[in-house]
Amino acid sequence: MLAPTQLLVPVEWYLVLSAGVFCIGLFGVLTRRNALMFLISVELMLNAANINFVAFSLQWGNLTGQTFALFVMALAAAEVAIGIGIILVLYRNFRGIDVTEATTMRW
Amino acid sequence: MPTKPELRLGSHLAPGLAAVALFCVLAFVFVTSSFSAPQGFPDGANITASIGYAMFNIGAGDVPAEGFIVAFFAIAIVLDAALDGAVMLAKRDEREGDGTLVPERGGFEGGEE
Amino acid sequence: MAFEYAPLIALLPLASFVIALVAGEYLPKKGGLVGMAATGGSLLLSIWAMLRVASGGFYDETLYTWVAGVGEGTLSLSFGLLLDPLSTMMLVIVSLIAFLVHMFSLGYMNDEGETGLPRYYAGLGLFTFSMLSFVFADNLLMAFMFFELVGLCSFLLIGFWFREDAPPSAAKKAFLVTRFGDYFFLIGVVGILATFGTAQFAGEGAFPQLAEEAIVGGETLFGFPAGTWVTILGLLVLGGVIGKSAQFPLHTWLPDAMEGPTPVSALIHAATMVAAGVYLVARMYGFYALSPTAMAIIAFIGGFTALFAASMGVVKDDIKQVLAYSTISQYGYMMLGLGVAGYVAATFHLMTHAFFKALLFLGAGAVIIAMHHEQNMWNMGGLKDEMPVTYYSFLAGSLALAGILPFSGFWSKDEILYEALIAGLENPVLLAAYAMGLLAVFFTGFYTFRMVILTFHGEPRSDHAEHPVPLGWNTKIPLAVLGILATVAGFVNMVPVAELTGADITYLSHWLDSGPEQLAYSTYTATAEEFAHIHHAELTPLIPGAIALVLALAGAGTAVALYRGPHPVAHTDKLGGAKDVLVANYYQDEYQVWLAEGLTQRVARGADTFDQGVVDGVVNGISSVSLLGSGRVRRLQSGVVTNYAALITTALVVLLVAFGIYGGWF
Repeated sequence: MLAPTQLLVPVEWYLVLSAGVFCIGLFGVLTRRNALMFLISVELMLNAANINFVAFSLQWGNLTGQTFALFVMALAAAEVAIGIGIILVLYRNFRGIDVTEATTMRW
Repeated sequence: MPTKPELRLGSHLAPGLAAVALFCVLAFVFVTSSFSAPQGFPDGANITASIGYAMFNIGAGDVPAEGFIVAFFAIAIVLDAALDGAVMLAKRDEREGDGTLVPERGGFEGGEE
Repeated sequence: MAFEYAPLIALLPLASFVIALVAGEYLPKKGGLVGMAATGGSLLLSIWAMLRVASGGFYDETLYTWVAGVGEGTLSLSFGLLLDPLSTMMLVIVSLIAFLVHMFSLGYMNDEGETGLPRYYAGLGLFTFSMLSFVFADNLLMAFMFFELVGLCSFLLIGFWFREDAPPSAAKKAFLVTRFGDYFFLIGVVGILATFGTAQFAGEGAFPQLAEEAIVGGETLFGFPAGTWVTILGLLVLGGVIGKSAQFPLHTWLPDAMEGPTPVSALIHAATMVAAGVYLVARMYGFYALSPTAMAIIAFIGGFTALFAASMGVVKDDIKQVLAYSTISQYGYMMLGLGVAGYVAATFHLMTHAFFKALLFLGAGAVIIAMHHEQNMWNMGGLKDEMPVTYYSFLAGSLALAGILPFSGFWSKDEILYEALIAGLENPVLLAAYAMGLLAVFFTGFYTFRMVILTFHGEPRSDHAEHPVPLGWNTKIPLAVLGILATVAGFVNMVPVAELTGADITYLSHWLDSGPEQLAYSTYTATAEEFAHIHHAELTPLIPGAIALVLALAGAGTAVALYRGPHPVAHTDKLGGAKDVLVANYYQDEYQVWLAEGLTQRVARGADTFDQGVVDGVVNGISSVSLLGSGRVRRLQSGVVTNYAALITTALVVLLVAFGIYGGWF
């Protein structure tokens, strides 16, 4: 498979796409009450960064970006594993997975 | 009978405005920026093989890349640790004494606040 | 023996203080014999010092410099001794009376089974040490320190029976009233040190000499003419004198001080501590003689106090109260004598009064022992047959107090009145003081003989009076010794007889003239004449003496007439409204309490409100700013994680916009 040697779309638009996905993920983090949806939003943010990496890998002609994106994906998986474990413990302690309910570490 | 999901709109969406504002700022900055022409990869290069070579610090790929062997090992350890962590978090806390609790339901058994 | 042993005069009683405090419990008389030995030793040393001074010796040495001034214009503060005719005479008087009081205490305290005696003898020892050190102090600051220490010992001893209500209250009152006067004294001492750079009484750079030179040279001190400044300093020091010698208006503590044991009253509140004020004026007489205003004030206060206290003594029923008011009155006479430049007369009266007043107090103590600690004269009577030694010595003391020929009090009081008259003929203010002093003679004779007759004559009016407790040798010997002294002490300076016969028998005048010229009686008189404008008219002393004697006999006779017979009646109700005023001590106590509560407490409360409201308020206000601020800011920690994320995002947006504008991204 031949990789494209030119970008059909200028790289700024990839940046905008990445920013858009990131902000959608951020919107989810800020407004979602279900802890699992919170985790999904975090995944979105990570993948926005991945889009950035890959786009610039072609921009500079270096494979570091793509390799790094692979590692980010692996790390996202690990983080989700731990995150779900934490949500389980949260459920045990607060009888629900609403993140706005777990407010004991407050003033 | 399940109902269709409803879109909940309300004041709880107010913090989301910060995300919208961030998008506006980022988009504005990116659109008005200018980059040089992309360099691209050499014609006919095998990208996947190069990625593989880069991961093991074998410099036999067509496309230049940095060495990721240390990151490879680090990720291996992290994934292993994450697996163990998830299992440990999911285990129920061992409690002494209170034999009235029946642990088979898998539900809430403690931590009242 | 050399004068270098002189400090032992004071250090021996200090040793008895320490021994009584530490080992008093284990001694047979709980420190009484040690105290007697110490004061006896002091007495012998004082007599020897007096003999050395009589043969021309003089001692003015600094023994220990505790602040060494370095360089020009700095002060040196030191302890030292000054032994001259006046101080050695006073040393003998103080140590003799202390010795006799220690002996009497064996009978009053030990034989009556009192408890806590080590504390008592320790207090007496500390007092004797302080008083003797005060007497031979060579500079004003050292005198001030021991003046205060004497006040402390008075407090400790008045409050000896502290488990009852009245003694600690009386002790506190004595301390506070004298302290009030001592505050002015301290300012005066500081003023003298600041003005003259020295507080020495005698020697090359003594402050009376420097003050005299300042006045002669017409200098200006601290913005005032030298004469005015000297008057101001003299009046400040006079504050302490008035407090300590119980003159009006700081006399209110002395009658209450009678709550202490009677030997304490005899030693401290009759003969020695209250004499400290008068002695201080005599010591710095070269300074006071420079100021006409201060001399006039001293004389007027003295004369007024003499009359004022004598009028109150007339209506009292407690034998010790009569003697207390008598003490206040007699010290008024001494101040009168000092104020009219009658230095010898005042010192003479100081000496005779010490003897006869201590005698009267010890006699009262003997009566109190005999009457099982009953002090109301209306419950006594008929004691003269049962207690002859006490009666005759008490009678000798009373005749001396009233001023009847030929007892000692006659000669000394008469000489004061003579000096006051001859100075008063040239100066109307001093004449008014003389008039008050003369009128007080009548009252003195009256209350003295009222006391004698009610106590000893007539039929016994209670069981205790019929069967008095017999007394031991330790109470009778001091009474006998003092009785003899009260009778013969007057013969050392019989001015009228000298005038009449032309013989040179005024030994005390010569004695007080015999020291260094700076401290001699004739120099003081000359200074007073030159600077204080006190001139003495020419008058024979026989006429004033006769007038005073007639008045005294009239007073005594009136008392005898009113209270004679087997069953005397109280006549005080016949005074009507005047009686209430006199018994209430002219409401002076209520007035002073009002000053403290009504006036001072309000000011203090205002200051306290300012301190808590303004000063503390500022500090609290500053802290409340931080408290309120943090109270609001902590609500950021709402516990909801998404809130934190929102805050981070908002902050990031703001930062990006700021950097963008600054860095030109837009």
